[in-house]
Amino acid sequence: MKNKINNMRAFHKIIALAFIAAITFSCVGDDDFTVPTFNDTTPVTVDGNVVALSTVASRLAQSGDDTFTFEQSASGVDEYITGYVISDDQGGNWFKELIIQDEPENPTAGLAISIDVNPLFTRYEFGRKVFVKLTGLTVGTSNGVTTLGIAGAGSDIERIAASSEADVIKRDNLVADIVPVDVEFADFSDALELIWVRVNNVQFVEEQIDLSFAAESFDQFDGERSIKSCNDAFGATANLWTSTFSDFKALNIPDGKGSISAVLTRDFFDDVYVLYVNTPEDFDLTDTNRCDLTPVSCGNAAAAGPNTLLSENFETQSTGAAAMPAGWTNFQEAGTETWEVYTSGGTNASLGKSVRVGSFNSNDASTIAWLITPEFDFDAQTGEVFSFETSNSFSDGSTMQVLYSDDWDGTTAGIATATWKPLADATIVDDGEFFGNWVFSDNVSLDCVTGTGHIAFRYEGSGDSGTDGTYELDNISMTSN
Amino acid sequence: MNKQISKLILLILLVCGSIASAQVVKGRVIDESTEEPIKGALIEILGTKFTATTDADGFFNFASGIPQGDQKMQVSAADHYNRTLPIVVNELTPVNIDPLYLRVDFSNQEQTAGVISLTENDLSDDQNAANNVSGLLQSSRDIFLRAAAFDFSATFFRPRGLNSEDGRVLINGLTMNKIFSGRPQWSNWGGLNDLQRNQNFTMGLSAADNTFGGLGGVQSIDMRASQQREGSRISYAAGNRSYTGRFMATYNSGLKSNGWAYSISASRRAGEEGFIDGTVYDANSIGLSVEKKINDNHFINFTGMYTPNRRGRQSPMTEEVKNLRGITYNPNWGYIDGEKRNSRIREIEEPILMLNHNWQINDKVKLNTNVGYQFGRIGNTRIDNGGTRLVTLDGQDSYIGGARNPNPDYYQNLPSYFLRNGLDYSNAYLAQQEFISDGQLDWDALYRANASFTQQGGTSVYAIQEDRIDDDLLMVNSILTADITDNILFTGGVSYRNLKSENYARIDDLLGGGGYLDVDFFAQETSNITQDQAAQSDLNNPNRIVGEGDRYKYNYDILVDEIDAFAQAQFKTKKVDFYIAGNITQTSYQRDGKFRNGNFADNSFGKGEQLDFTNFGIKGGATYKLSGKSFIDFNGAYLTDAPTIRNAFPNARQNNNTTTGLESQTVYSTDISYIYRSPIVKARLTGYFTQFKDGTDVGFYFVEGVTNAPTDGGNAFVQEVMTNIDRRNIGGEIGIEVQVTPTIALKGAAAFGTNTYSNNPNIYLNSDDFPNLDLTFGDGTTNLKDYHIAGGPEQAYQVGFEYRDPDYWWVGATANFFSNSYVDVAPLRRSDNFITDLDGLPFPDYDEDIARELLRQEKFNPYELLNVVGGKSWKIGDKFVGFFATINNVLGKEYRTGGFEQGRNGNYQLEVADSANPISVFAPRYFYGNGRTYYLNVYLRF
Repeated sequence: MKNKINNMRAFHKIIALAFIAAITFSCVGDDDFTVPTFNDTTPVTVDGNVVALSTVASRLAQSGDDTFTFEQSASGVDEYITGYVISDDQGGNWFKELIIQDEPENPTAGLAISIDVNPLFTRYEFGRKVFVKLTGLTVGTSNGVTTLGIAGAGSDIERIAASSEADVIKRDNLVADIVPVDVEFADFSDALELIWVRVNNVQFVEEQIDLSFAAESFDQFDGERSIKSCNDAFGATANLWTSTFSDFKALNIPDGKGSISAVLTRDFFDDVYVLYVNTPEDFDLTDTNRCDLTPVSCGNAAAAGPNTLLSENFETQSTGAAAMPAGWTNFQEAGTETWEVYTSGGTNASLGKSVRVGSFNSNDASTIAWLITPEFDFDAQTGEVFSFETSNSFSDGSTMQVLYSDDWDGTTAGIATATWKPLADATIVDDGEFFGNWVFSDNVSLDCVTGTGHIAFRYEGSGDSGTDGTYELDNISMTSN
Repeated sequence: MNKQISKLILLILLVCGSIASAQVVKGRVIDESTEEPIKGALIEILGTKFTATTDADGFFNFASGIPQGDQKMQVSAADHYNRTLPIVVNELTPVNIDPLYLRVDFSNQEQTAGVISLTENDLSDDQNAANNVSGLLQSSRDIFLRAAAFDFSATFFRPRGLNSEDGRVLINGLTMNKIFSGRPQWSNWGGLNDLQRNQNFTMGLSAADNTFGGLGGVQSIDMRASQQREGSRISYAAGNRSYTGRFMATYNSGLKSNGWAYSISASRRAGEEGFIDGTVYDANSIGLSVEKKINDNHFINFTGMYTPNRRGRQSPMTEEVKNLRGITYNPNWGYIDGEKRNSRIREIEEPILMLNHNWQINDKVKLNTNVGYQFGRIGNTRIDNGGTRLVTLDGQDSYIGGARNPNPDYYQNLPSYFLRNGLDYSNAYLAQQEFISDGQLDWDALYRANASFTQQGGTSVYAIQEDRIDDDLLMVNSILTADITDNILFTGGVSYRNLKSENYARIDDLLGGGGYLDVDFFAQETSNITQDQAAQSDLNNPNRIVGEGDRYKYNYDILVDEIDAFAQAQFKTKKVDFYIAGNITQTSYQRDGKFRNGNFADNSFGKGEQLDFTNFGIKGGATYKLSGKSFIDFNGAYLTDAPTIRNAFPNARQNNNTTTGLESQTVYSTDISYIYRSPIVKARLTGYFTQFKDGTDVGFYFVEGVTNAPTDGGNAFVQEVMTNIDRRNIGGEIGIEVQVTPTIALKGAAAFGTNTYSNNPNIYLNSDDFPNLDLTFGDGTTNLKDYHIAGGPEQAYQVGFEYRDPDYWWVGATANFFSNSYVDVAPLRRSDNFITDLDGLPFPDYDEDIARELLRQEKFNPYELLNVVGGKSWKIGDKFVGFFATINNVLGKEYRTGGFEQGRNGNYQLEVADSANPISVFAPRYFYGNGRTYYLNVYLRF
């Protein structure tokens, strides 16, 4: 019994000691850390002079050199710029590059900052106001755009070291709503470089609709896709490129029309303007009513019909003048070139008198020339067959289309607003054809067309007249049963 | 009690009386301080072959045969000082020494306790679990093995090149080796040292008491309450190796007159960090045993253990990182709220409950039946940096976000990255300065990123992922022991284990974010599958947003049934003791997928193929007694082992596939020893040979340059499967102790072996980048023959001394020398993939001499470690107070305990390019041993 009591006493001692021990040692605080709160309510202040973002580019321009390095001023005061982040690498479409613009709305200048940090979105989200310390940094032109970084070999701009990030870039508490600048493709200019823009009423070009953004076997570095504007059925396309490292590279490009918001920049070789989006959310292409040219196609006929509705070989026209047979429309929509009558012999012979148009070395920013037939009434007979002959001379960048419209009002002003549909079955001379050859269009049946309408021959230069060439045209014929 | 004693005495008298010519020597061994009988004490008549062992009540008896005349009798028992006393044997007068007092030797006991405490640091580190066998050896009395346990363990020396899965740990007769890896999970009983003082270790293949055993021996721990020494004990320990403080309190009732015995022990081990920075330690342990003696023949015992353990983990380092930050550097932690937080936490909480029935059927036969149940969890956390948000465009899903690996030692943050392919000294310098001055995890940045990202899409970019294994293990076994005759001891048993192991990842912490989109950010579109399908962890619940505590990424069960039976007979004759044993095991594994993985839609959900293995082993051995002092011991075995679960399912996280060409491993092993034991000299010399055949090994890593892989640059995260692995361990070991004076002992130990691959194993790669394809190279093998198996030094030498003052204090020191450790080689690099370009054609610039240099296995520099230990104890009334202290690596030597080649550079061209860099970017990573560490323990027994 006594033994038992002793044991119990010992046992109680143990319990007491264990309790003391538990209290003594319970201070290992590795568990249950509280979530830090980020009370970024006060705007950040920087110790230095804040200058306009455009200063960076203007200093570079003033220097007259390829690069300009910001030294610390004699007074020891650092210079800062401030801007708003418009690139966002969460979609993987940017890499170690931060694009900022000077204002959230109506920006006037943008800038690329090259920094060896990935990812950036975890700190610099879209719209974040930042201050960038210029001291010690170098500005230059990298891939065609003004870029801030570290001086490299020659005029190279290299990335700011990751270890300098905290010193160079200071985050403000403000995350602004960035209002995109609405632009047309024609507005693309140096002034809009590195600006958050929006293009409206656009769509991806028809021939690329089945492609992914950047996961095709031929895609290298970027998936190079084109968009066109529905405001201008025959307008030039614009480049919308996507990195093959992007998170959404495997998605198929949307097939609707609408608007796209993106950063306007230049391609790697500084040849063309390119739009880069941040995420798929920057596409608003939900309108399924695309603005493609819908072709007219009734197939081909075995031969021309017995009745001639139109036969034009331009033999009655004056050489050297704009072709203007009776009832035809010859319209110079843009540039200095027009469909004109000519004769030629030798290896590049005309067919007697023929017509041609070419913008090679015209120095036109844009060359568009129309030659439109008189109106046909397709209900007045059956078995209409249309044909013509074309030749080309180094057409290269220029193109020629044969189009049909049933809603053109006959005025030159109405050409732009009419609906033009390509004649799918007509053969137009290929760029690769020998320049001396004439190519027959084939007997293009228009038997399935009803109502009234016009056929147009449309020439368009590439915008770079040095790469354009000439199309020649003759023997335009419409027959019926 | 008295009744029993008189019964036994009566019995002994009866036995003695029946023998006619009796030179009877008998007696009873009693502990001097507690007056308790000592069980298992060894009585030797020096210079003869006669030995005896005391029974549970301390009695021993030599019935006959002892030569007449003056003899010396030596008595030795665990934790006690040896005693040698002269006796006179003659026919007429029986010698009866009762009581025979032995004095407690605390030094030994405390030293053992110290070893346990010191090694438990490494024991719970999974990266080296395979290498660490010191836990097994700590209870051994063998001089060599004690050296291995005490002094060689710091460098993961493996006796005979064996791993911890080659040994067996039993608690109360139940096998505690994990089915998943075959390895004991030491932390499941960590901190309960006071309840585990009854241990015995059976070396190598020798016959164990209660199991067939393994190549590496058997550690059998008896936690039954009736077997614990009565009394209380509290201790406090301080150290700087793993935990900084340990408190332990234990009470044992002893077997009380009402037939009950109970033991309870509680401990806490904790520290903000150990020798390595940021390695938090937080472990509580409680153990309870209650036993009821129903009658003389039946004992029922309950033992329960609950030892929750949290550890902050460290990472292996490249030479570059070590040179910049030193061996205590740990990239896993960063400051938050002014405290160090480790991102990689290992948490183990696997309580064990067991019921044990011990039945003495008659005086010859006893039956031990045990039922055990273990449940709980093992969790390992790490940062998941692949958080995305779902962005839908025209009905197509894309996953926007994901971030780079935020670890500060990520290769792109290091100077070597800037010096590769050209020398960018300025950025390399900046990276170096940044890494030196900061170089820790930036928790704030992770929280900030999540705060911002959550505003946009409601999900986290970063989260803490916890990889979990939740086991439900039922164990039942029965062990029969029968003294068939005086010379034949039969042991046999059957056991059954059933395991349901739930394996999954869960979100442990969203780091302030609002959820986590459960898709694989790295999934790639292939010709067969779109990216948004491939990215799904579970097609049955696509694009799921998970919260804290939810399972994600992978989720499957492994179901295991294992039935085992063994039988063993031990024979004793005058000249030779020998044994023979055999076992047979039936094992089945099955994976049951709970998620339908996007890349493996048809073979990931539901149950897969059931794998069945039938294995057997036979072993035998003999001890030939050359004289009373010298013996020759021989053992041989032929075994087959079922592959472990981790090697049976190469990509269990994603699919039900099983390893192609999976076979049971076959082992044959033999060893022969010469043993010499005199009062002055104890020595053992052993030679061994072990051949492993048809082993399997699965590894995971990211690799570049895989030939014929349908990915950019042949880059893929792969499962590397090696089968048909043959290994050979051959070598010798020596242990010697010389008792120069009664107080001074000199000891020496040496191990020298080679552990090598003995063939060219088969190798293939799996990956979700090329699902359900086994990618092979050339003839499908890898040229590993004659490469060394990594894992600790192959040669280890020790010299040391011990001084034990009669005044209860003692000191000891050892000098240890290690050499021949090798790096773990990357097998893919030794396959034909190395010499072929992505298209399968040889590299045009391939130079065999350069290749040979690149593939040479790195041998680590030899090193020496000096350890000192000492202690003292006082008896105050009936209480004991004492302390002991150790200083390990007194000279603060820096050394590599292990390392491995990074698998990333998959072929010759990549490896040539990287090795040409001023600092190789994907250099091997190494584990470093601790510098100078101390450990101090004070205790009170009452």
